[in-house]
Amino acid sequence: MSTRIPRRTIAAFLGPAIAALLIVGIVPLCYALWKSLHYFNLTKLAQSRFVGLDNYAFVLTDLVFWQAMGRTGLLFITSVPVQIVLGLTIALVLHRPGLTFWKTLTRLSLVLPMATTYAVVGLLAQVMLNQKYGVINQMLGWIGIDPINFIGDPTNAFIAVILWDIWQWTPFVALVLLAGLSTVPPEIEEAAQLETKSNWTILRHVQLPYLIPSLVAVLILRTADTLKLFDMVFTMTRGGPGAATEFIAVLIERVGNRQFDIGLASAQSIIMLAVTIVLARIYIRLFYREVR
Amino acid sequence: MKLKTNVSAIALAATAALGAGQAGAWSLEEAAKPYAGTEVEVLFLDRPGYAAAIKMLPEFEAATGIKINITTVPYENALGEQVRDFVAGGDIDIALIDLVWIGNFAENGWIEPIDKFTGNAALADPDLALDDFFPLVLNAFGGWNGTTYGLPFDNYSGLLFYNSCMLKDAGFDAPPATWDEVMNVYGPALTKDGKYAYALQSKRNETQSADSFARMLWPFGGSFLTAEFKSNLSSPESQAGLKFRQDLMKYMPEGIVAYDHSEVVNGLAQGDIAFITEWSAFYSTLASPDTSTLGDCLAVAPEPKGPAGRKPALGGFSLAVATQADEAEQAAGWLFIQWVTSKANAGKYLELGGVPARQSAYADPALAATYKFIPALVESWQEGVPEFRPRFAEWPAITEIVQEWGTKMMLGEVTTEEGAKVIGEKMEAVLAEAGYYDGKKPLAQ
Repeated sequence: MSTRIPRRTIAAFLGPAIAALLIVGIVPLCYALWKSLHYFNLTKLAQSRFVGLDNYAFVLTDLVFWQAMGRTGLLFITSVPVQIVLGLTIALVLHRPGLTFWKTLTRLSLVLPMATTYAVVGLLAQVMLNQKYGVINQMLGWIGIDPINFIGDPTNAFIAVILWDIWQWTPFVALVLLAGLSTVPPEIEEAAQLETKSNWTILRHVQLPYLIPSLVAVLILRTADTLKLFDMVFTMTRGGPGAATEFIAVLIERVGNRQFDIGLASAQSIIMLAVTIVLARIYIRLFYREVR
Repeated sequence: MKLKTNVSAIALAATAALGAGQAGAWSLEEAAKPYAGTEVEVLFLDRPGYAAAIKMLPEFEAATGIKINITTVPYENALGEQVRDFVAGGDIDIALIDLVWIGNFAENGWIEPIDKFTGNAALADPDLALDDFFPLVLNAFGGWNGTTYGLPFDNYSGLLFYNSCMLKDAGFDAPPATWDEVMNVYGPALTKDGKYAYALQSKRNETQSADSFARMLWPFGGSFLTAEFKSNLSSPESQAGLKFRQDLMKYMPEGIVAYDHSEVVNGLAQGDIAFITEWSAFYSTLASPDTSTLGDCLAVAPEPKGPAGRKPALGGFSLAVATQADEAEQAAGWLFIQWVTSKANAGKYLELGGVPARQSAYADPALAATYKFIPALVESWQEGVPEFRPRFAEWPAITEIVQEWGTKMMLGEVTTEEGAKVIGEKMEAVLAEAGYYDGKKPLAQ
C-alpha cells in the first residue's frame, strides 16, 4: 500500500494557509517595500515620485529615529528582565503542588491584564496616574507621600510606561513559563528533590533547560511587542511630554498617519522589521545552541 | 418708444415678481424631493455642537427623506479618517473641516466650492444670507484663497472662563484684562493653598500648538511666519510671548504639559483653578451642574489683551460637500449643510448646546443673559486672526514639530531661542519641500 499523499491533497491543505499568508502578510509587506522607495504623501499625491533609497538614507541618518529606537531599547532592557524574573517567580509558585483552587483562581486572574485592550490600559493609566485626581496619588497620600507628577515629567512618564508594561505583560510571561515547567518530567524533578534541598540548584540544572524554548519564545514575542508598542503609550502620553515616551512605533504612526508621509513611514517600518528579524535570529542562535 | 419702455418695465417687474414668487416658493421639502431616500455619510466629533445637531436631525430627515449617516470619531482621528477616505475614493459625502485643514482639503480638490450649489436655484435657500455669518468665521473656517468651500458649523473662539467667587474672595471685582495683569497681579494673588491662578492646556497634541503655543504668540505681536513665509518665531515679539509662557508656568499646576482640555476644564469646574482660557464650546460643560461645581460663580470674558491686542485663539469646523460624492449625494449633503447652519435654525442650535456663527442669533439681548459667553464670543470674533494657525496643507506636518519642541521648551529641555530655531528650520524645510520658496505655490495661509 502506497503512503504517498497526492499533490492535490497537499495543495488543498496548504493552499488556504499560503493564500491567507500572502494576502495578510506578504502582499502588504511588498507594497510597503515598494512605497518605501517613493515619495508618497497622501496629502500631496501629485508630487509622488520614485526616490530610490532616499527614504532609507534619511531614516538611517535621522537622529529622531535613532533616539526613538534608543528609547525602545531602554524600555526593553528595563521591563523585560523584570517581567521574566517576576513571571518565573509566579510560574514556580504555581508549579508547586497543592492549593489547587487558589492556583486556578490565580491563573484566571493572570489572563485579565493581557485580555484588556491596550488602548484602555493606557487610558486607565492616564486617569489613575493623574497628579491631582488620580487614585495612585491618593493612595500614596495615605502613607504620607506627596503627589507625584507621573505623566507631566519626562523621567516619571518613562518610568510609568515601564511599570504599566510590566503590569500588563508579566502574567503572559508567567503563563508561558508555567507551560514550560509542565514539560519537565515529574520523575526527574522528584529525583532532583531527593538529591538536593536547594530550589536554586533544581531550577538551574533541572528546570531551566526545559524552560529555554519558552524563554526564547518570550524574548522573541516581547521584543516584537516592545518594538510595536503603540496603543497604550498613545492613549497614556501620546509620546510626550516632549519626546520622552516617543517609542519607535509611536514615531512611525506619527509620520504615517499624522504627517501622511507613507513612503518615509514604510522605510521606517522595513528597517524596524529588519531589526526584529536580526534580534530573533540572535536569540535562536544563542539559546537554542544551549538546548542542542 | 415710451410704450416700449413701459412694456420693458412691466416685463422686468413681472420677471422680478415671478422670481420673487419662485424664491418665496422655495422650500426644503420641495428642494429635497428628488433626493428622498439618498443616504449621506459624514464624520462627527463627540462634542456639544455635534450632539445639538444630532438632536435636530430627525426634523431634517422627516422633512426631506434624506438619511444622514453619522460616524462619531475622536478629534485625533478625524483628519486621518477623512484623508484616507478621500484618497481611496470612499463613502464620505460631507467633509468636516477643522479650520487648519481647509487648505489641505481645498488644494487636493476634495471639497466643492459652495458656488456650485448657491448658483443652483433649486438647491439654494433664498434665506442663506452668507453675510449673516461673522465674516472672520466664514473666511477662516470655510474659505481658502478667496473661494468659499464650507459653511461654519461648530464654532469656537478662545474665551476667559473664570470663577468669579474665587476672584471676589481675593479682592478682584473683574477678571484680568491684560496678560500683564495675569502675570503681575492675579497670578501672585490667586496661587496659594494648593490652588492656582491659571492653567494653560499644553498637552503634546494639537492642544500644544493651538491652545498653548499660538495663544502666546499673537497677543505679543508674534506669529509663525513672516510675509515671505520664513519663520518668525525668533523675532523679539514671538520670543516675548514664548518667554511669557515660560514665566507664567509658576502660576499653573505642576505637570501642565500633561494637561489637555478636560484637565483644565475640570480644574476650573472643581474650584482648583481661578481662570482658564478655553474654547467657547466648553461653556455647556462648565455651566452644567452635572459636570461643574461652579454654579453662579461661572463667568466669562474675552481673553486678556497683550501688547499687540487681544488676538484670541480661533478654532472651529465647517461642513463642505465632498467632490467624491455623486450628484444626488452632493445635493442632499448641501441641503443638510445649508439647513443645519441656517439663520432659521441658529437659535435652536444654540439652545441645544451648539455655538452658531450667525450674527443674527446673538442680536437678542435676552440671549446674552441666558448664555453668559455670548458677549465675550461676539467681541472675540471681531478681533481674531484667520491665520492664528496657518491653514495651508503643510500644517499637519508643522503642528507635529511645534508640538514636540513647544513641549520641550515648557519642560526646560531647550530654551525658547533654541526651540524657536529648531522649529523654524524644520518648518522652513517643510515649506521649501512644498514649493513655497520657488514660486510653485502661492504664499497663502
